Amino acid sequence: MGAPSPRSPRPEGAAAPAFLLWPPAVGAAPGYRALSHPQGGTRRAGVMTDVHRRFLQLLMTHGVLEEWDVRRLQKHCYRVHDRTGAVEELEDFINNINSVLESLYIEIKKGATEDDGRPVYALVNLATTSVSKMASDFAENELDLFRKALELIIDSDTGFASSTNILNLVDQLKGKKMRKKEAEQVLQKFVQNKWLIEKEGEFTLHSRAILEMEQYIRETYPDAVKICNICHSLLIQGQSCETCGIRMHLPCVAKYFQPSLEPRCPHCNDYWPHEIPEVFDPEKEREAGPSKVSKRSLRSRQH
Amino acid sequence: MLQKPESEALPILQAEGEKDGGRDGETQALTASQKEVPSPLLQETPKEDLGARREEGAAESALTPKGVRTLAAKALARRRAYRRLDRTVAELVQFLLVKDKKKSPITRSEMVKYVIGDLKDLFPEIIARAAEHLRYVFGFELKQFGRKHHTYILINKLKPLEEEEEEEEEDLGGDGPRLGLLIMILGLIYMKGNSARETQVWEMLRRLGVRPSKYHFLFGYPKRLVMEDFVQQRYLNYRQVPHTNPPECEFSWGPRSNLEISKMKVLGFVAKLHKKEPQHWPVQYREALADEADRARAKARAEASMRARARARASASERAGIGPW
Repeated sequence: MGAPSPRSPRPEGAAAPAFLLWPPAVGAAPGYRALSHPQGGTRRAGVMTDVHRRFLQLLMTHGVLEEWDVRRLQKHCYRVHDRTGAVEELEDFINNINSVLESLYIEIKKGATEDDGRPVYALVNLATTSVSKMASDFAENELDLFRKALELIIDSDTGFASSTNILNLVDQLKGKKMRKKEAEQVLQKFVQNKWLIEKEGEFTLHSRAILEMEQYIRETYPDAVKICNICHSLLIQGQSCETCGIRMHLPCVAKYFQPSLEPRCPHCNDYWPHEIPEVFDPEKEREAGPSKVSKRSLRSRQH
Repeated sequence: MLQKPESEALPILQAEGEKDGGRDGETQALTASQKEVPSPLLQETPKEDLGARREEGAAESALTPKGVRTLAAKALARRRAYRRLDRTVAELVQFLLVKDKKKSPITRSEMVKYVIGDLKDLFPEIIARAAEHLRYVFGFELKQFGRKHHTYILINKLKPLEEEEEEEEEDLGGDGPRLGLLIMILGLIYMKGNSARETQVWEMLRRLGVRPSKYHFLFGYPKRLVMEDFVQQRYLNYRQVPHTNPPECEFSWGPRSNLEISKMKVLGFVAKLHKKEPQHWPVQYREALADEADRARAKARAEASMRARARARASASERAGIGPW
């Protein structure tokens, strides 16, 4: 490699590299320390070992994983690189990695599926970027199709955009001209790559897209974007109060109303008119996803 | 050689990055000797040339109110410059990871064009830090190759896996077990004459200990997996059987299953399950043989047309004088 080699030799995978603690040498006045600097040594970053590295590589490969998959992944990484070591508690394990990732402006973010609250994890950008992670897999006109679908989804009341409405925008796409037939296949590609979910001919955002693009969406569509009244995160699918209009994610509704016998809107105290979904519990047997019920309730609000 | 789709896609990354103003006000490049034109993202930071000013500032001495303000402004500008440098290093790391996923080598000019921009004189510093992050955080080594050493690839430095570990890793992300379940269903459908009633499918799964609405540690919610995921991904077709009362539904192979697996393979799987030979089911065996013959013919046709196209391309480029890059 032609570039200068790392500053000091260090044991494999042990201490943090030198530059995470020193300020950069270029242009530095003597005695200068960057205190508000994310790398400024005011925060001790965690230590990376091959266990963490393999975990990161595999998480990156999959894009998004459900929690039970993540636990299996973690155990697998320990088995490969550190058979005798105790498997760290998942939350601490991830926090440790995130403290190192901070200087790269990325983090392992935990979210939940909007329809039934299954916990999911993805590696996301902290700095605002657009659909950049998709940019390597899709052409310009395909990315624009995604953006159009995204806009329709955000503007909609139910969080779903119909296939017809998306395909009607095919003429407005940037880049190479795309036929509707082609666009249908591109939409399927989005589903397979876990950017969109399809239900009965309508499309909404996959939890992966929500995790990765929340910041971008909030900054790009500040007027149209919907926020959950309970967790204050981006909301695509959810239930809404028919009186005052506040919205909540289905899993947030489940958790909030769990103890109460008579559910009332947290904002205007009016009776909450929708079916309360159950809190996600991997041990319990129940119908897979209450999404159909709530979609009907939301639709009836539209007119 | 850059493939078209990538170069179309990445300008979006760059263009949006400039539009969104996510970076705070930048100063000019950090090299002491240069007087750079301020970048379009510059906000209310003092438009100073750090290098030239450093001598002035020292002479001015910090203790007058004006001196204090100047030093504070310079410190602020420096912090912003470092932040910008950090951001650029972070973006380069992400850029390299994303490009590496496609297994295509990355050139220095690509990096400058899409990530580094007007900091290109700091390229050696930036790439050194990016390389260190890639090594320490992800376990990748950034290697240079090519005649002028301006092309890079990532090499995985983590120890290679044993065979059982590799199988284990393939299972992760749920695809392995889920596809196993899919093959069981495809097998049932095939053995029942290319379609199976929904009730039959759930009956078989129940015998395997899989209940439609009980969260399964390998499959999640099986009902969702089978009725929604597999159908959406075109592995299974699901339709109502006409003239049935009460209405019944049936499954058949979806187009994607036909692409990704064959009747012979599925028959082989079913045969192994029952500890018998595929020939034990003569009807299905004959059908699978016919399917294999069809596939072989289709493959031969596709290869012949590919070869013809390649020949045409080769002679065209020969005429135009285009050689390999």
